[in-house]
Amino acid sequence: MKPISRRSFLKTSAMASLAAAMSPLLPDTLYSLSRANNPYYFEKEFGITDDICQKVLAKALSKGGDFADLYFENTIYNWLMLEDGKVNQAYSQVALGVGIRTVKGDQMGYGFTQELTEESMLAAAATAATIADGISKKPAKQFIPLKLKNYYPLKKLLTSVPLNTKLPIVQKVNDKCFDLSPLIIKANVTFHDEQKRMMVVTSDGIKAEDLLPRNYLVALVVAEKNGKRERGFWALGGRHPFSYYTNEVVDEITKTAVDRAITLFDAKPAPAGEMPVVLAPGPTAVLLHEAIGHGMEADFNRKKMSTYCTMIGKKVAEPFVTILDDATMPNMLGSINVDDEGTPGQKTVLVEKGILTSYMHDKISATYYKVKPTGNGRRQSYEHYIQPRMRNTYMLPGPATPEEVIKSAKNGIYVEAVSNGEVKIGEGDFAFYVSQGRLIENGKLTAPIKDMNIMGNGPKMLKNVIMVANDLGMSRSGTGACGKGGQRVPTGFGMPTTLVKSMTVGGVKRRM
Amino acid sequence: MNKEMKNLAEWSIKTAKAAGAEECRVNIDSERFVQISYHQKKPESIREASKKELSLQIFANKRYAGQRTSDLRKDALKTFITNAVVTTKLLAEDPFRTLPDPKYYKGRANINLEIFDKEYEKLTPEGRHEIVKTIENSVLQRGGKKIITVTATEYDNRYESVVMTSNGFFGYNEATIYFAGARVTAQGVGDRRPNGYNFVASVSQEGLPLPENIGQVAAERTLDLIGGKKIKTETLPIIIENRNVRRVLGGLIAGMSGQRIQQRQSFLIGKKNTKIASDKLTIIDDPLIQGGLGSRLYDRDGFAAKKRSIIDKGVLKDFYVDWYYSRKLGWEPTTGNPSNLVIPPGKRSVKEIMKDLGRGILVTGFIGGNSNSTTGDASIGIIGKLFEKGIPVQTVVEMNIADNHLKFWQRLSEVANDPWIYSSWRTPSLVFTDVVVSGV
Repeated sequence: MKPISRRSFLKTSAMASLAAAMSPLLPDTLYSLSRANNPYYFEKEFGITDDICQKVLAKALSKGGDFADLYFENTIYNWLMLEDGKVNQAYSQVALGVGIRTVKGDQMGYGFTQELTEESMLAAAATAATIADGISKKPAKQFIPLKLKNYYPLKKLLTSVPLNTKLPIVQKVNDKCFDLSPLIIKANVTFHDEQKRMMVVTSDGIKAEDLLPRNYLVALVVAEKNGKRERGFWALGGRHPFSYYTNEVVDEITKTAVDRAITLFDAKPAPAGEMPVVLAPGPTAVLLHEAIGHGMEADFNRKKMSTYCTMIGKKVAEPFVTILDDATMPNMLGSINVDDEGTPGQKTVLVEKGILTSYMHDKISATYYKVKPTGNGRRQSYEHYIQPRMRNTYMLPGPATPEEVIKSAKNGIYVEAVSNGEVKIGEGDFAFYVSQGRLIENGKLTAPIKDMNIMGNGPKMLKNVIMVANDLGMSRSGTGACGKGGQRVPTGFGMPTTLVKSMTVGGVKRRM
Repeated sequence: MNKEMKNLAEWSIKTAKAAGAEECRVNIDSERFVQISYHQKKPESIREASKKELSLQIFANKRYAGQRTSDLRKDALKTFITNAVVTTKLLAEDPFRTLPDPKYYKGRANINLEIFDKEYEKLTPEGRHEIVKTIENSVLQRGGKKIITVTATEYDNRYESVVMTSNGFFGYNEATIYFAGARVTAQGVGDRRPNGYNFVASVSQEGLPLPENIGQVAAERTLDLIGGKKIKTETLPIIIENRNVRRVLGGLIAGMSGQRIQQRQSFLIGKKNTKIASDKLTIIDDPLIQGGLGSRLYDRDGFAAKKRSIIDKGVLKDFYVDWYYSRKLGWEPTTGNPSNLVIPPGKRSVKEIMKDLGRGILVTGFIGGNSNSTTGDASIGIIGKLFEKGIPVQTVVEMNIADNHLKFWQRLSEVANDPWIYSSWRTPSLVFTDVVVSGV
């Protein structure tokens, strides 16, 4: 192996993608965070100077417009996959490029290039500029780096973790799943890590850089009993350092995945019709995300598409309901130090003691509503333009105990695991799929149930939240990705045990 | 033929072999796209860019890894490929990972699939804006005062790809794709603001409906949603509208995956040549339809594309088995993923069928839901129109259907005559009897 300099190594996206894999063969210091985490990453590695940014921004504003921004990205994605007992697949991908946006009122021109050369960037800026047709504007003469808090500090880059350190963890998950039950016939394990470097430079003189880690470890098992098969799944992850993946994490993943699969052999047919629904703490907050979160993204309200567009300042829930969207939770999947248009990460109260207080804004909607941006301007990658998106959305805990909530439901269902949700923004109608839950009979949890869709109407459901417990839990899977307008971004969510008076349960058995 | 892409693929294979790969596959994809959206009679967004990426699948020492990069500078690529080979060798051995036997590459159809629109270069920026403006205007005209907001969109893409393997496969593909449509919000009852849409896709501009029609349909579909409410839980016949069949059919097709079968995650294990649906269901996978959105001369493994019967009169005839899983299963490979799925159309229109059924629900949209490929259990929210004596009487929302695929498809009683041609899954509307629709 011929030694190479760090600069030329990282400049080569292809090599960067292989950093994790190659690290057994290269000295660790080559990737030491103390050097790599210095600001000016894009300047050092790709020669992106303030002068170049100024030229490109000037081109983006060459036909006028209110402002323009540049979003540089270098992301390295790695997947390790185990199937049939062996870690026998590895995939890597590099995303390297810059997205250039020109904004005029609520209009936007957007171009991107994968080549970080001045010529290519100017061409992309010329595309963005076509949205305006006025007199050219000059960008700021200097760009002030934003000082940001760090909600996901790393002592060591994910790309510096040797492949042979990751492989045994993946293998251990597989082996533990089989050790836990003789009913397990298959296990699929995936370890994913990604490391995103981004830099935003705006025509009004802001410059912000961030290093965003993301990772998760997933087990999917298939169990077989008396000719029937069921599957169970569990994942843990977020914006963690690699040191997060301890034996305890492996134990939780394997035990939960195996328990979930085996429990389903005793599942009874899910009921159909309207009934009380109790949401377990944590992942069931997909309900909040779908029923309330999307409807409160400001672009849908600015365009009068959302059922919430006339409700700011109005009572939408009981006084014990407070809902936040928060970028500042340590290591959570939806946390961001800065959003993708240069607004620092922050906490936004959406519903305070039952009153709708704020939408989630990007710069365009904030200008429209004459408020400050809330730091919700996000995008999937440099190929995509900014939209208001959620970060970590959750409901604050209430006064009741979980047992009191379940008892109050009397007869209904208890939702434990969900997958897939969707909302119709204008009507507020939403649905989410319950992969696992339990019947509530006479105020007690009884037989397991599975595979049913649950539906409701967002504003109605909010009003129907009649009891909230004191056990706020956040989804910790690290796998959550929210889709909107053809873009997927990582989001987090959480809630305490919550009783909704009535929702439509789409099981197969007529009313209990 | 793009010689530059072909030369790069050849060079990549030589470099990989020199670095120690026994076998490798290279894909190079290049595209240019334009996307324009209008809102309030002015451009809301204009997005345009070019992309080029290289993917590499390395087979070394009976081990396998895949890599993808957009950095195509030769010096960077050389290091990329060399290191990809090193990475591959660090993984566990997998004797099933090889390039396919070249015999499966043979027999490629010698036809023009007509998936590249020769008129593509004639599409000007002004022409694109005109299409979107027309769609938006026709929504507003047809919808009148009830329309609150419209976002009309046009997207077009010119795509080229080269695939080459170290054991003799070469494929070149040039295609175009157009999407157009509108998302519309109308004033409903109270605070409800129904969102409707109409989007269509084609490989040629000529293949799309006129922009005026796209807008009109978007408006009509949105106005149809006004006044939606849920009704009592009831067992009814339902008709799933042609464009929405894919959402339900996808759960059935998922069970046919060779990977899921080998991983014991399919409800269709052991069901080949058995009856899994009513006689009315026939599904053909036809990759050679001229102008089809899923048309291809070869699949991801490089296998020569062939027309296949997937379900014949309710009997499951074939699975989607790629080279790798065919070796793990010890089966003959077919193809790894669907191309154009065709359900042969019936004779009657939806209107005629509704008249005959009397009372039922025409499903015009779905919400949420999912399907468990291991057990076949599925549950999904529906949006549609309750009809009585064949006439729509009430828009229904917030209702649900749930069943197991092995039972649900037995309820298929008729196939309508209206295949949806703006998708690679050319599905007509389908009629199911005795479906429990849960609501109040």
